[in-house]
Amino acid sequence: MEAYWYWFCHELYLDRVWARELLGYYKNPEAVYRTNEAELLKLFPRKAARHLDFIKKRKNWVISEEWEKCQDKGIGFYSCEMEAFPQTLRDIPDAPLGIFVKGELPDPGLPAIAIVGARMCSAYGQVTASLFGRELAEHGVQIISGMAAGVDGYAHRGALKAGGKTFGILGCGVDVCYPRQNRDIYEAMAISGGLLSEYPPGTPPLPYLFPIRNRVISGLSRAVLVVEAREKSGSLITADLALEQGKEVYAVPGRIDDVLSRGCNHLLAQGAAVADSPEGLCRELGLLMPVPKPADGKNKKSLESAELLVYTCLGFHALHIEEIRKKAGLPLLQVMRTLVSLELKGYACEIRKNYYTLSSHPQGVS
Amino acid sequence: MFGKIISADVRGIEGYGVSVEADISEGMPVFLMVGYLASEVREAGDRVRTALRNCGIPMPARRITVNLAPAGVRKSGSRFDLPIAAALLAAMGYLDAEKLGNVMIAGELSLNGEIHGVPGILPMVEAAKGLGCKYCIVPKENAREGAVIPGIAIVGVGHLRELGELLGPGNKGFFQEETSGTDLEARCLGSGQAQAELLETPDYSLDFSEINGQETVKRAAQVAVAGMHNLLMIGPPGAGKTMIARRIPTILPPLSIKESLELSKIYSIAGMLSEKEPLIRRRPFRAPHHTISTAALTGGGRIPMPGEISLASNGVLFLDELPEFRKSVLEILRQPLEEGEVRISRSYGTYVYPARFMLAAAMNPCSCGYYPDLNVCTCAPGDVARYLGRLSQPLLDRIDICVEAPRISYEDLTGRGAENETSRAIRERMARVHQIQQERFKGTDYHFNSDLGGAGVERFCPLGKKERQLLKDAFDRLHLSARAYHRIIKVARTIADLEEEREIQGRHLMEAICYRAMDKKFWTR
Repeated sequence: MEAYWYWFCHELYLDRVWARELLGYYKNPEAVYRTNEAELLKLFPRKAARHLDFIKKRKNWVISEEWEKCQDKGIGFYSCEMEAFPQTLRDIPDAPLGIFVKGELPDPGLPAIAIVGARMCSAYGQVTASLFGRELAEHGVQIISGMAAGVDGYAHRGALKAGGKTFGILGCGVDVCYPRQNRDIYEAMAISGGLLSEYPPGTPPLPYLFPIRNRVISGLSRAVLVVEAREKSGSLITADLALEQGKEVYAVPGRIDDVLSRGCNHLLAQGAAVADSPEGLCRELGLLMPVPKPADGKNKKSLESAELLVYTCLGFHALHIEEIRKKAGLPLLQVMRTLVSLELKGYACEIRKNYYTLSSHPQGVS
Repeated sequence: MFGKIISADVRGIEGYGVSVEADISEGMPVFLMVGYLASEVREAGDRVRTALRNCGIPMPARRITVNLAPAGVRKSGSRFDLPIAAALLAAMGYLDAEKLGNVMIAGELSLNGEIHGVPGILPMVEAAKGLGCKYCIVPKENAREGAVIPGIAIVGVGHLRELGELLGPGNKGFFQEETSGTDLEARCLGSGQAQAELLETPDYSLDFSEINGQETVKRAAQVAVAGMHNLLMIGPPGAGKTMIARRIPTILPPLSIKESLELSKIYSIAGMLSEKEPLIRRRPFRAPHHTISTAALTGGGRIPMPGEISLASNGVLFLDELPEFRKSVLEILRQPLEEGEVRISRSYGTYVYPARFMLAAAMNPCSCGYYPDLNVCTCAPGDVARYLGRLSQPLLDRIDICVEAPRISYEDLTGRGAENETSRAIRERMARVHQIQQERFKGTDYHFNSDLGGAGVERFCPLGKKERQLLKDAFDRLHLSARAYHRIIKVARTIADLEEEREIQGRHLMEAICYRAMDKKFWTR
């Protein structure tokens, strides 16, 4: 039976309405497989005239072989009828018929939160995304995102750094790594978490596939956190879908003159909840209260006075050495030295060449 | 009847002696030229015969043979016109054979006997000096250029007639009418005087003090100059990258006489020395446009001429908009950057031109120029990575110092409260640092800290225990590559030299870490 579902999802992922009509009549994919062209034409005269290819081609498609090929690649398939299929996903409107998985499915017993945002994100988005990703993952939250460039990628990275589970919902087949520069997290997520897609393996990353998969991102999650988004942004689509699905929407506030925060600020104006810190978000969601960090106050004592001065000049918005120099009022060379020593001690992070922010990973990796 | 003249030709930037022989003997009237000649040298025959006839000397109707020795080396260029004419005149007995033994002659003839300047006089005069000549007769336009070489007398001539006056027997010209006659000695350009006047350091019209703000980039440029490290500046349009690059030559220490001569030889061959500036005393600043071809950059042509990288020797090669250069053009820089010279091979031999320059490059962070300011930048996520992707890693690996210039603020623009150091003050400091490096590298192949390879770093840049620990931390935390590691130590050595510190301290390393080559990670995600 699974194999027929596999065939069905493989052939009809692009036309979900048609697929549902067929299922509605035949009840299961096996029956669809066993039907013939004439019957389809008679039953669905308008649709079938244009969409008969899948029936014509089915004889070239040895289901069991294809099914095995897929298993050999380590790709799992869950149809919406299987028990393992995520319940939260089954409940959403226009739920996917099946889902392809590399790695594992999110654990229904653990909370899952989606973190989404702009692909072209600023240093601020980069730092906050990985901060939220890391801190939430540290407290057992599964991080769901789209593995896109920018915010998505940093959220995954943050979660991976904390050793947490994180799931990428792809707009292509799960055996395709897109975008290529995310190869590192693509591989890491297959081990710690999973890569999910409603599109069959081998599907290339076509632009129109991405907005559709956004409903899966919000569908799998309990709440959606938008980190950075322009006024017109795919992340806002995800937020809208989340509201439709009855999920909570959080947004990270930004400065009003930042184009990249307009979308978030707009969401907030419309009534989205403010995500001002990972702890706050956890509390809001009624999750396990994170243990407050004793680290900050204690560790700062190990800083020299110049380091402390420069440290206080840093924030989540990237500053160039030149700006830090003016803010701190110290000589250039001292500022440069201090920044490097802060970076080596894990307090600062060189987020772009010669631009610094507070480290989003006080104890760790850049 | 036989005449022989010493002349010279140029190969690469070195001159070598060529003897021009003419023989007039009985036989069928014929004018033969031999000695592996390029076509422009062959044409010299016609120019010489016509020029001589127009000066009133007809060719005898006999068998005339002209030979340029050594016969095995291909000769090209128009510089043999005058020596061929002189050899013919000697063979006809118009010149005093005794006077010819220690005179080098070079120049191009026009049909009426006037003498035009030729490129490459400087290396030719040097070759003549090596051959033991006492005098050089060169075109008037090139006289001051030749006079740069000490210990050899230069005579500039403007017309074939003057040659006769100088070299004719006694005080009598070889032309029919009586001339006043001139002594070779009296006409010489005083070489000593020419040198003294040339050695004054020229002023630059630009000055470092004109730049306000951008302290980071200014400091990086100074460190780069101090150790002759290659420099890459990244920043939005109007940040002042080009402005700073243009002022780099003004803070380089003055050229030594040796450097100046080497540089002048290159310019001489390229025909770029003027009568007004016969010796290059300014550090060159070459800023080729990004449409430049590989041949124009490295040198080329059937007879290879020096390219921009050679013309930038001992100075600065500035490549603005680095990613806009054609990839093949940039890749070709790798070997010269490593070896300090460029080899151009032709079927008849390999030419070697010096190319020991400091590379200063500037680029925008993305194709629209404003990344990482995303309020202004219009690039898509992939665009920024693609823009940087045009630069290959091996090329970036040869750039020791990399800085990003932020957008300039209004206070900096108006220069309020700015008290900037002048080029002169910086130059003096740089001279001291170069001095320190010369002493350190005495007896080795290295010139500057930037030349050090892995082994050189081990030998000349020992680190204390604390410093090693610091670098270890940085290596682990900042994910440095092995190459980046060595570059940081090299640059730290230069920064320590700037403070005239013998040992590399932690603070030097930290500053050097700030200049480390850009990490592609800043662009890709």
